[in-house]
Parts: sequence; C-alpha cells; structure tokens
Amino acid sequence: MNQEAHISETPTYIGFGDYSTHVPGNIPTAVQQATDRFLSTRAARVAEKANWEELRRAAHEIRLHTLLHLDSYLEQVERQVTKAGGHVHWAREAAEARTIVIDIAKRHNVKTAVKVKSMATEEIGLNHALETAGIQAYETDLGEFIIQLAGSGPSHIIVPAVHMKKEEVATLFREKLGVEAPADPLRLAAIARATLRERFLTAEMGVSGANFLVAETGTLVIVSNEGNGRMCTTLPNLHVAVVGIDKVVPDWDSLTVLLNLLARSATGQKLSAYTSFITGPRREEGENGPQEFHLVLLDNGRSRVLQDPVGRETLKCIRCGCCLNVCPVYKSVGGYAYGWFISGPIGAIFSPQILGVEAARELPFASSLCGACADVCPVKIPIPHILLHLRRRVVEGDQFESPAAPAVLRTGARLGRLALATPWLYRLGTRLLPLLQVPLKRDGWLPALPPPLNRWTKVRPLPAFAGRFRQWWGKRQGIRDRV
Amino acid sequence: MAKRAGYSVIENVRRALGRTAGAAVEARPAVLAPRQAGSIEAEIDSLIKEINALSGSAQRVSEDDLNQVLKGLLQTQEVKKATLWQTAGLADLGLEGRLREMGVEIMSPHADKYVLAECDLGVTEVDFALPETGTLGLLSSQDKPRAVSLLPRVHLAILRPAALRADLHDVFAEAKDQGYLILITGPSRTADIELTVTLGVHGPQALYVWVYSG
Repeated sequence: MNQEAHISETPTYIGFGDYSTHVPGNIPTAVQQATDRFLSTRAARVAEKANWEELRRAAHEIRLHTLLHLDSYLEQVERQVTKAGGHVHWAREAAEARTIVIDIAKRHNVKTAVKVKSMATEEIGLNHALETAGIQAYETDLGEFIIQLAGSGPSHIIVPAVHMKKEEVATLFREKLGVEAPADPLRLAAIARATLRERFLTAEMGVSGANFLVAETGTLVIVSNEGNGRMCTTLPNLHVAVVGIDKVVPDWDSLTVLLNLLARSATGQKLSAYTSFITGPRREEGENGPQEFHLVLLDNGRSRVLQDPVGRETLKCIRCGCCLNVCPVYKSVGGYAYGWFISGPIGAIFSPQILGVEAARELPFASSLCGACADVCPVKIPIPHILLHLRRRVVEGDQFESPAAPAVLRTGARLGRLALATPWLYRLGTRLLPLLQVPLKRDGWLPALPPPLNRWTKVRPLPAFAGRFRQWWGKRQGIRDRV
Repeated sequence: MAKRAGYSVIENVRRALGRTAGAAVEARPAVLAPRQAGSIEAEIDSLIKEINALSGSAQRVSEDDLNQVLKGLLQTQEVKKATLWQTAGLADLGLEGRLREMGVEIMSPHADKYVLAECDLGVTEVDFALPETGTLGLLSSQDKPRAVSLLPRVHLAILRPAALRADLHDVFAEAKDQGYLILITGPSRTADIELTVTLGVHGPQALYVWVYSG
C-alpha cells in the first residue's frame, strides 16, 4: 500500500497497526538521526537555562488559563485584528475554512500562492483544494518543497523530508525542475532558493499559519529558520493566515515565556532565525508587506475538545515536536504511521479527539506509556494520562463518545479486569499459562499464537512466561530480609 | 453569513467551557521576572559572541576603521549593488556616500522587489538587540522597508549600544503597538536535507553586525 497517500486528506480511519507494519527501513533510520540531533542540542539549551522548570510551569499555567477563557480572548483577537485593518473569518470546519480561503483568492484573481509550512493548512487539506480551484499553491519550506515535489507527506514535524537521501533529492530535482542537480545539500538548497525566489516575487497571495496569535494587539507570530515565512508575509500583496483557535496567547508578556521554550524544545536553538510579529496589513506603502490581511480562525473540533476537562490540555500544545523526538514508538515507525498531519505522542492524543475515537481508535494504544513525552513537554501536557483517558473512551465510552473498540478488545479488556481483580483467578492463571504455552514455546519465546493473539505475534514474538511473580517476589523478600 | 458562523465558533467555545457571555477573565498567571542587564561592554561581548556562534559576523567598529572594514566586506562578498534604510542614523555615518566612493551602485529601498532581489547588500540599523540570544529586532516604516533585510544576499546591520535591551519583555513593551517587528537571530538557515546545516536558504546568506559607538 502507499505509505503516504493518506496523509494530507482528512482520514476516515487511521489504521496505525497496518501502517506501522509496513514502514520502509529508511524511515526509522533517518528519523532517529534527526531526533538524536534535536535532543542533544535541546539538552544543551535546557542545561544553560537555569529557570527552565519555572518557564515550563508558567507556560503550562498561561496556556491552560487561555483555554479556560478562550471565548473572551477570541473576542479580543477579533476586535484587535479588525482595529488594525485586518479581516477576521470564522471557520467551524475544515471545509468552511477551505471555502473562505478560495473565495478570498478568487476575489483577488490569484493564480499562484506561496505557503509557509503550516499545520493548520495541512489539517484542512488546503493545497489540494486550491489546486482543484485552479490556484497553484507552492510550499516554500525546503523540506516541504521537496515532499511536495515528491508527492508525499512529512515524516517529521520539523524536518519533513528527513527520510530522503541527498541522492534522491537530486534525482527529484532533475526530474521535476529540469535542472542539473548534484547530490550535495548545499547545491540542492541553492537550486531550491533560486526556484522559490521567482515564486515569492510573482505570487499574488501568501498563505501562512501562525505559531501564536496575541490577543492584546491581534498580532500574528510566525517562527521560521529559512526566511520563507518572511518572504510569504512580506512580498505578496495579499496575506491569508489560517490559525487554529488554540493558538491564542493573552498578551506579549505571556509570549516571552512561550518563545523562550519553543525553539529550545524544537531544534535546540535559543530562538529560531526569524520571528515575525505582524499586526494587520502594512501601514505605509513603502514599508513593504501586504496591503490586505485576512485571518481565518479554525475550530474544526477544537471547541468539542474543550468540553473534556482531561482531554482539553491537548490544546496547550505549541507544536515543538519534542514529544516525537523522545518517543520510542514514533522513532520506530516514523510519522506516516499516525495517518494524519500530526504524529507521535501529540498526534496520538490530538487525532482521536478531533476525528473521533472511532476513526482513530488505534492511536491511544500506539504508546508504551513510558512517559518520556510528558517529561520534556514545554507546556507540561500530561500525554500518558490523556492516552489512558482516551483508551477508556475507546473501550468503554463516556459522556463524550460511545465505545469504538472492536468487540474482541472490549471483551479482552473485561476479562483482563476480571482476572486481575480476582485473586484466585489470577493465581490460577499464573499456574495454567506456563503449562498451556509449552507446545508453542521455542527457546524462551512464543513465535506464533492463535487468533486473536496472533495480532501481536505477526509482528514480533512474545516472550514466554518465565515464572510466577508472587513466587519471585516472595524469594526476593527473603533475600532482602537476610541482607 | 460569515458573522453568524463567527459567533457560532465563539458560542461553541463558550458552551464547551460552561461560561456565559461577558463573564470575567481571571488574572493571567504570572510570568517570570525579566533578565537583568550586565555592563554595556559585557552585553556587547555577549551579543557578538552569540551572533558569531550562529555563523553571523559581528564585531565592534569605530569611525576610524569603518572604511577599512567596509572595504573588506565589499571584497569578501563581491558587492556590486546595495540598498539602504533611509534613516538619520545611517545618514550620520555617511554610508551611502562611502559605498558610492567604493564603486557600489546604490538602489532605492523603494525600488521594485525584483531590483531589491538583485542587490548584493542590504544595510539597516537595529532597533533592539538582545545579548543573551544574539538577536536583532527591526521595526518597519516608510524609511525602513522590510525587504532591505530580506531580499539582498548579504545583510549588514549597524547597531548602536542604545539599542541593547536586557530581555524580550523590554523589546515587546516598546514594539507591541508598532504593527511590525522582526527578530533576527543569525543568518537564514536550514537542515532539511540530511540534517546538513545550510546558510542562506531564502533570507540573506550572510549577516554582518557592526556595533558602532562612534
């Protein structure tokens, strides 16, 4: 099956189990190189910032406070952006957001648009919609540019094309751009620079997301390293920003806390090369910048997520990608396995809440619950806790959703609970299982199990039951008492 | 139509949170105390060190060695065309005249964007500088077009010590009502192909910062 085709459209079902058993070997290798790099530089930045934990605590409090008063802050955003001369649009769903952007583009007779890497536009599948409407949309982040040429999806949130070797990129450039391209990252970047320069200068519309949206003044904050964010928001006469309603920050003082955390957590930089602060359209013609500014505020299920006191903390996320970098599951399967624009631990809690647990019921289980994600999260999202909460929603259902798990999983979970909560049954099991496994056991492993347990052994062998825990524990107590 | 839809997003949020229209907003949780500035010389040292660590090129420049340093930059970067902010600070230094004398063609900062993209050098001042991170803050106005620090291949920023700020809080307090601010921390960079760090993807390939105290 095609590993990438399902990435940019809104999925109706995410088959994590299926996707993760067909991961090409180059993806985990490349992803691990990237994540190791980011983690080591991050560690250096965290070590030199004496008040790191204080920053995280403040960020958590500010983000949660904002979510809990989001209606008021959104009203303030609308007031301030309008006051600054911008236009505010509200989109309840992805389709509504796409229509708004296409209408604006058509009104301005836009033929080509240049785009800054933006998760909100990935979420609503904007590129495809623009192309269908006859508008060429060019990704301008180097990694996004490469995967757009390749017709695939991002394998990592920060370095989307990290799974591709320089030789593959060179071949791609030769085929798609018709230029002589050596397999040298510096020369390849120069080719991309020249190609995209022309597009920046000619495009009639710049499309961006935002890292933050400051309610105090209605200011859009965009972080980038390459400078494409500046190009897209400085050169075209029309700027359209699509921003999730969860991106709001109360004021500029709060922003200092989040900016201090974002680049350090994402790439291990103190600050990214460029941080743009844009309030409405340009005020004077000669200063450059767009003449017209539109802000599309996207709900797309976020208000529903806010209802759930446990799940809502998901929306504190500032998209640094650090939870991906530390996640043993993500590092083994890469981004595609998560089936949508957002992957790793944050994807495993975001997608089920936005798409519904029915569509993404496998994702809350795509975790070993090791907790590394929560340890590094700059805004302290309790990801393992939310994963457990969502597992419960999948299996048992709750006031927000009905159970989505297949009958076999529900029955399994019930039987498991019964066995673990009934001492005599538990003891019986620990005696029976070592005997039952004898015909299947090969060198201390169970290489194949009967259905439905073969869902595990199709992918990897199960370690054989080694002994009885209570017995082992008893002996251990005995040893400790003697020491 | 758009209006109605709009109010329904806010209403949905309000309902989800169990709030009512016009309900009070609690005080926003406290932020951290801002960093305190060191001595001016220590702050300049830190700024220069940080920018150079990011593959930028920062140094102190005085009236006496301005011409020589400028000549060096023009040679290293093979500068033929340049554009400058039209500010009093740059006029004081007579930079435009010096560049012309050295044979550089000067383009108006309000020239067409294609013309600016052909410039080798863009010269700006710096409105704010943060020593902790090696960051420059630039505002924009009629005389300070945004494209001058973006489109030319090389960006030269002239920094006077008065631009030093201890912390982002100080920069934001002054910049938040200005409509536009760009924070620049080192030259444009990417690691998107095999994690190889490449400078100058879309923005300037080289960043020169001259700390000028007359």
